[in-house]
Amino acid sequence: MKTNESTRERTNGSPTVTNGRPSFAALTPRARDLAGRLPAALRAPGLPLAFPFAVLGLVADLFRDWWGRQTGYVRWAIYGLLIVGALLLPSEQVGGFMSPYSDWAQLLFFPIGGYILLAIGLNVVVGQAGLLDLGYVAFFAIGGYTMAVFGTKFGWSFWEILVLGVLLSALSGVILGAPTLRLRGDYLAIVTLGFGEIIRIAARNTDYIGGPNGISGIPHPPTLSEWTVPESEPFTTLGLAGIAPLKYGALDGRPYYYLMLAAIVVTIIFVKRLESSRVGRAWASIREDEDAAELMGVPTFKFKLAAFAIGAAIGGAAGVIYGSQATSIIPRNYEFIISATILAAVVLGGSGNLPGVMLGAFLVAWIPERIRGLQEYRILVFGGVLVLLMIFRPEGLLPSRRRKAELAEGTGGMGSLGAEVGGPTTHAAAEVGK
Amino acid sequence: MLLEINDIHVHYGKIAALKGISLEVDEGEIVTLIGANGAGKTTTLKTISGLRPLSAGRITFDGKDISRLAGHKRVLAGIGQSPEGRGIFPGMSVADNLHMGAYARKGDLSKELAEVYELFPRLAERKGQAGGTMSGGEQQMLAIGRALMAKPKVLLLDEPSMGLAPMLVQQIFSIIEKINERGTTVLLVEQNAQQALQIAHRAYVIETGRIVKSAAAVDLLDDPEVRAAYLGGDLGEPESIAADEPAATADGPAKD
Repeated sequence: MKTNESTRERTNGSPTVTNGRPSFAALTPRARDLAGRLPAALRAPGLPLAFPFAVLGLVADLFRDWWGRQTGYVRWAIYGLLIVGALLLPSEQVGGFMSPYSDWAQLLFFPIGGYILLAIGLNVVVGQAGLLDLGYVAFFAIGGYTMAVFGTKFGWSFWEILVLGVLLSALSGVILGAPTLRLRGDYLAIVTLGFGEIIRIAARNTDYIGGPNGISGIPHPPTLSEWTVPESEPFTTLGLAGIAPLKYGALDGRPYYYLMLAAIVVTIIFVKRLESSRVGRAWASIREDEDAAELMGVPTFKFKLAAFAIGAAIGGAAGVIYGSQATSIIPRNYEFIISATILAAVVLGGSGNLPGVMLGAFLVAWIPERIRGLQEYRILVFGGVLVLLMIFRPEGLLPSRRRKAELAEGTGGMGSLGAEVGGPTTHAAAEVGK
Repeated sequence: MLLEINDIHVHYGKIAALKGISLEVDEGEIVTLIGANGAGKTTTLKTISGLRPLSAGRITFDGKDISRLAGHKRVLAGIGQSPEGRGIFPGMSVADNLHMGAYARKGDLSKELAEVYELFPRLAERKGQAGGTMSGGEQQMLAIGRALMAKPKVLLLDEPSMGLAPMLVQQIFSIIEKINERGTTVLLVEQNAQQALQIAHRAYVIETGRIVKSAAAVDLLDDPEVRAAYLGGDLGEPESIAADEPAATADGPAKD
């Protein structure tokens, strides 16, 4: 089946393309192909499970082709619509369906918004440069503690601290990266994992920043404007009337959501521009073959460090914003599970593809809250969903075309995420070792 | 001398991979470095292109000592390499791969692109295809073409014949000759000694990290020891079995 797929890939560029367009007639064979990945005993019952994934893949392909044909104006119109849609999200009608068990506005801010911002940041490191970072939570923590310390002890305002937090976390990214980025694959993963733990444990053992009790009384951002959404149509129907979107109080989560949204939009623009620049090309080449990249004249070390610093800066920004809403933070907020969850979001969404990564982060944040009604079974169900996703779409929900080609090659795949499998260095080392 | 390597030692951890290699490549030459698996051929090339640090010795290129120069700067100095296993960027299209080849350079690339497409018409047909989905031969062409995009003074080729059908090997080697005729110096590392010696001007034989022989390529083609060790030899004669032994031990364990 594997070879079958790759030959089709070779002739058409995409598995279900006929005459350059995906077709729905190919849906059933595609689902059967997917179900074929299951063990024999599960294949028949697996078919209906595989169907939604086949549909998703097809729709994604169709959309990608359509998107490729659109002009700049249409694209900008769609970006605009997406932002308007995001602005309307805190509506109570949406919340009633999306989150029957918890406060929707709060949920939108964190984990959903927070995870999305973190995933965009981690995607720079993992998805673009191909470096496996298992300690990403450290930068989130540094951002959070910057907010807490400078807000409570020095009385800085949120906006000043946001800048400082971004700089400090970028700096810590460089400090972590400079000695460790000579390592590859799993070695780098272990070192970053250690870094994440060091930051948390150091915070727990430092009395100045509250030790295990953390810091409370963190100030909220200053109110920018008292303006409220008028109590009239269409806002009353949309359930948005009466919000003061720029007034950051203790009760209403919605202004914080808008703050997070603004940060996400700015970050997306920044990251997208990087991706299509020389820097983005350098990252792609490092991810696909680091030695070859160096041979092309790419200063690989410098660019890996840059990826670390930029990823860290975004994580730090998320940390500052989270801290400004949370009022109090403790070291336990920054456990390894956050790093793992964000990495899961990146991988399951489609590492390297921004819309995919954001979808992944949304799902990882939202599913456990949406199924709160299942009580103690919810994590089990969540885990099951993740396993199914990885069986049927190992390349992620919305992978980029390019990622598919890398996976087909077998070695590129996740950059050095696959550790040292068949890399040029291991080969040479093994040769000499014998 | 364009490229001069002087008594270099390279270590992987505590294991010495190169134990004092010296070789020279003059402008306009094709020089080949032949040897068995694990002899240190690839390590030598990687050291020249800066992917491996050297623990002792000196590399001089174009009159400058480049022993401590970072790998990506050696590209600008004029060293281009098609790495072992080709090192194609699998997710990038053929055209993007070629553009990556000129990453370090600025300015107009159309002339070099046209030249590469002329050398390898196959690549021109497949500009938009992802590198990872191409056949081994096409990938090898792409790897060589990509290295040429940087307009190197010396082109380092690491086993361009690896895993290719005999017809393709012929084709690749004749293209290497053509590249050389157009003025690019070539240092060719090969296990396929027969082919390499036929197009090379001079050759070095490397065994377990040491150069054991250096001579004009035509002389090595007739050299009984080299014939026995690397060219299949004259099978069945008693002395050639003895001569075969070191090659066999060097070759044996790396076959996995």
